[in-house]
Amino acid sequence: MADGLANSAAVRDRTVVASATPVRARRSRARLVPLLYTAPALLFYAAFVIAPWVHSLWISFWNWNGIGVATWAGLDNYREILADPALRLSLVHAFGLIIFYSVIPIGLGLVLAALVANVPWKGMPFVRTVIFLPQILPLVAVGSVWKLFFDDDGPFNTLLREVGLSDLTRAWLGDFTWAYPAVGVVGTWVSTGLCFLLLYSGIGKIDPALYEAARLDGAGAVHEFWHITVPGLRREMSVAATVTVIAALASFDVVYVMTGGGPGESTMVPGVAIYRLTFTAGQVGTACALAVVLSLLTCAVMFALNRLTREKA
Amino acid sequence: MKSMTSVKSALSAAAVLLALGACAPGSSPDGEPAADPNAPVQTGVPSGSVELKLIATPESGAAMKDIIPAFQTKHPNVKINYVDTTYDDYNKSLNLALSSDTSPDIVLLNAVGTTVKDQLILNLQPYAKAYGWESAYPAGQLNQWRVAKDGTTLGSGDLYAAPASFSQVGLFYNKAKLKKLGIAAAPASLEDLEAALAKAKAGGETPLQLGNKEGHASFPIQLIGQSTDGPAAYAKWVFGEGGATFDTAGNTKGAQSITDWGTKGYFSKDANGIDLQGAVDKFTKGDGVFFVDGSWDSKKIGDALRGDAGFVPFPGPKATAIGTSVAYGISRKSKNAQAAAAFLDFLRGPEAAKASFAQGFLPSDASTVTAEPGTISAELVAAWNKVNADDGLIGFNNNATATMNDTLVAETQKLVAGKSDPATFIRAVQADWAKTHG
Repeated sequence: MADGLANSAAVRDRTVVASATPVRARRSRARLVPLLYTAPALLFYAAFVIAPWVHSLWISFWNWNGIGVATWAGLDNYREILADPALRLSLVHAFGLIIFYSVIPIGLGLVLAALVANVPWKGMPFVRTVIFLPQILPLVAVGSVWKLFFDDDGPFNTLLREVGLSDLTRAWLGDFTWAYPAVGVVGTWVSTGLCFLLLYSGIGKIDPALYEAARLDGAGAVHEFWHITVPGLRREMSVAATVTVIAALASFDVVYVMTGGGPGESTMVPGVAIYRLTFTAGQVGTACALAVVLSLLTCAVMFALNRLTREKA
Repeated sequence: MKSMTSVKSALSAAAVLLALGACAPGSSPDGEPAADPNAPVQTGVPSGSVELKLIATPESGAAMKDIIPAFQTKHPNVKINYVDTTYDDYNKSLNLALSSDTSPDIVLLNAVGTTVKDQLILNLQPYAKAYGWESAYPAGQLNQWRVAKDGTTLGSGDLYAAPASFSQVGLFYNKAKLKKLGIAAAPASLEDLEAALAKAKAGGETPLQLGNKEGHASFPIQLIGQSTDGPAAYAKWVFGEGGATFDTAGNTKGAQSITDWGTKGYFSKDANGIDLQGAVDKFTKGDGVFFVDGSWDSKKIGDALRGDAGFVPFPGPKATAIGTSVAYGISRKSKNAQAAAAFLDFLRGPEAAKASFAQGFLPSDASTVTAEPGTISAELVAAWNKVNADDGLIGFNNNATATMNDTLVAETQKLVAGKSDPATFIRAVQADWAKTHG
């Protein structure tokens, strides 16, 4: 008996010892499996996003022209960015573009989506395609076409002359006041389709009972819009804002093609400034510092945006 | 557990940084140290088949489609592959091309830039001696391609590129319009020019065609500046000689003139939205009595305006022009430097001169080409001879530093739009210069 007890205790001990490994192994395997599934994506992300970013961060501490030997710069490149009014201005311009890339398109998209959501319309697929079209066009092509549109002999001025507003005609992209809004309008044109589609599909997911209840309570179309549609689209609006704000802050192609940052520095954005610092000025270190600052600012904005639009738990 | 992970990731991030820290970005140029510039070199084309790659821009390289076959006929064992890229892309990719393992052999140089400092191109001094280039060209024509030991100061030191042909920026004018306005001859002084501009304005013409989207208002500013200050003094700043300044009487006068002409409506209020080719098109369609531009557009202007197209050096006390040579250098990575140098020598020969002149570029010695009297070509040659007689050819201000072109574009646009004044303009330009040449 005593033997049996001792035996069973030994068995129990052995089981404990034996089972300890499988449990831990199972647990760590359970943790490893999802990691394994994400590994390909993670690998690419690390190789093509994280590593280059860390590399840029590293280069930003050097004086380097991209070819020759680098010398240590410490924080000099960051000081230069803060000291250079033109580079500071480019950051301000990027944030200003958020109005054209995000605020106006989301506003327009909301109104458009709310208007067409309740009206069954045969031509809808066609309209949807047309509105979304700018999203799939290469931005360089978009910029080239809009550049022609705003040219001093371009269609926009011709249109103004036709309707008797020839006093207003000008070379829009060469005008210190108008070049920036002219470039911004292109952002609105590109982003509106995406925002509209996102919000339109979101409206379909709002419980129709809410609208019914509101109508029973005597709410009008405007009330419905503000109290049901807009709050119901919070998640879609957050997605639209995330995508378009990043596009605004990272804008390069449209500005580079249309104005190259001019006239003066009136449309200069960080994307174009980084490109110039690298390929014209040969100040790769300063360019990387500006890129790092821009990416950190973008992250900060994204963080704030997530906080703002997070659903109350 | 959580803090463990963050400690771990912090450690691995540090490890990555340390690994990177082992090497600073970039590396010292591989290959042997710069060859002794006094070492003797072989002239002529080596025997055996040689393949060379030459890169240029479409405008400057236009004559190559005639020059290369002529060279290959003479030396059948040499094959030259020609590739061109648009001006903007060319300048941005040249250094990378030169430092790559597939470097071209012969490259068009629009500016010295950092090619010498980063040891990307070959010191041509030995070849200049062997072929006698220094006595074949006037000193002023080679000086733009001489680089001092510091790698950035131009105008003296060893030669790094061989000029093939030259461009000059001067004053195009429309003869028919001058006649209509009752102006007897092309202006000979700045006062003459201003009087003619005023007359043109009163006569309902566009006095000056100006496209400043790419900053070409810097041409008249420099031309007024260098003719006022004198070419020898003015060139010091362009070459980046220590202690030089942009704040001169001439540049102030130039910037002030642009401001005044803008106020008086001598050029289009849309100038900042018109690029150079747009301005050329307008001028050839009769919009503009005068037009400051380079000889590279002379073919287009001459073809359109025919006998009405005129060209003179920019009016001033001395005949000066902004100009540079279409010059070629040899990559330090070229395995056939000797054959490449033989091709560079061929560029100053009569066949090459003729081919270049047909494209609007002038040969070093204008007597080697003949121009039909009464054509724009004849006026280009006449202007070229005058400028050389006064030793008035000066390189582009735009090439004074790597970023000077961008600075001049932005600052002239502000000036033209009335957003800036001559003093601010000059300060901004000098600030850019001081960053490089201190």
